[in-house]
Amino acid sequence: MKRNTVVLGVVLLLLAVFAWAGWANWQYRKQEAEKRLAAAAAKAELVADDADIPHFVTPLMNKPAPDFTLEDVTGKKVSLDSYKGKAVLINFWATWCGPCKVETPWLVELRNQYADKGFEILGVSADDLDFDDKAKLVEEKHDIQKFAQQEHMQYPVLINGGSLDKPYAGLDALPTSYFVDRSGNVVAATLGLTSKDDIEGNIRKALGE
Amino acid sequence: MRSLCARRTRTISLCAIVTVSLFAKAQSPLADSSTRTIAHGAPIEYLYPEQVTIAAGKPRPVTLHFRIAPGFHINSHTPKDSFLIPTTFSVPEGSGVRVESAHYPDGADFTLPLDPDTKLSVYSDEFAIDTQLVAEHGNHLVQASLRYQACDKTACLPPKTITVPIDVIGN
Repeated sequence: MKRNTVVLGVVLLLLAVFAWAGWANWQYRKQEAEKRLAAAAAKAELVADDADIPHFVTPLMNKPAPDFTLEDVTGKKVSLDSYKGKAVLINFWATWCGPCKVETPWLVELRNQYADKGFEILGVSADDLDFDDKAKLVEEKHDIQKFAQQEHMQYPVLINGGSLDKPYAGLDALPTSYFVDRSGNVVAATLGLTSKDDIEGNIRKALGE
Repeated sequence: MRSLCARRTRTISLCAIVTVSLFAKAQSPLADSSTRTIAHGAPIEYLYPEQVTIAAGKPRPVTLHFRIAPGFHINSHTPKDSFLIPTTFSVPEGSGVRVESAHYPDGADFTLPLDPDTKLSVYSDEFAIDTQLVAEHGNHLVQASLRYQACDKTACLPPKTITVPIDVIGN
């Protein structure tokens, strides 16, 4: 009886030590993740949380989306400011980006589904443009237009997205999306291909649903 | 006695399970950081040769070796979609060396997890380009180029050109 009590005591002690070690380990990883997130707040990048799941962290979160005016593929000027009152998805993409091509049909479908509620997509091409070579520039614009037609992108397709690299920090990789609410604030951002459900969830967030 | 041992065995097993559970890192399908390498540095590296000695004025075989960072892939020289950017090797004019021919390896089929129906033609890990170089007499420090466009499973980096430094001695 006495021996069993001793064994039970030792086992309980061991369990307590293990539990403490686990808790301390979890706390440490949590603090490290918080530090990484804080350090990343100054620049946009993928940061792993304490469960090692990467999140796109951008200094634009919960701040007004920087205004811009870009030409669309037909030469018409389009500014973000003119969409105030609407929820907007600013989707940076490029013709050479495979994952962008995967998500484009989802974007087209979601745009059609939520347009009546006041939702619009601005597809901003990050393809390089050679402004010094007019013939090449025409060809490059034609390629973007061809891609947009092929993918049935019936929303505004803007060019020269590279010029937004500074205000929209973190365009190092594509696709990158910023979800802007009706007041013009960034409420969600993603880098890389996620899922249609994820995109829809962020659209609904931008719509205030 | 046997029953006590059995109880101890169960206790030890429980301890082991608790221990493993406590120390195991929480995982998720997205937790594998190798699938999200996009935020990190240059994804491609020229390996060798650093120096080659070839007979001047005649095409001579030189195989160039490259390494791609884990988690990344680049388009092969013959991607399956005209919008995708092929991997190409070039030598600047006036460098004393020219590329007579370049044979690129076939790309491996690759599909994005969220688009299993579309096959891409890519290089990953290591690959080599078999070239025939023609060198003029002398020592030429050639700053050759490799243009590529890299992606991981969910995102792509802009097209890039890296320098491929080769000391070509033509004698």
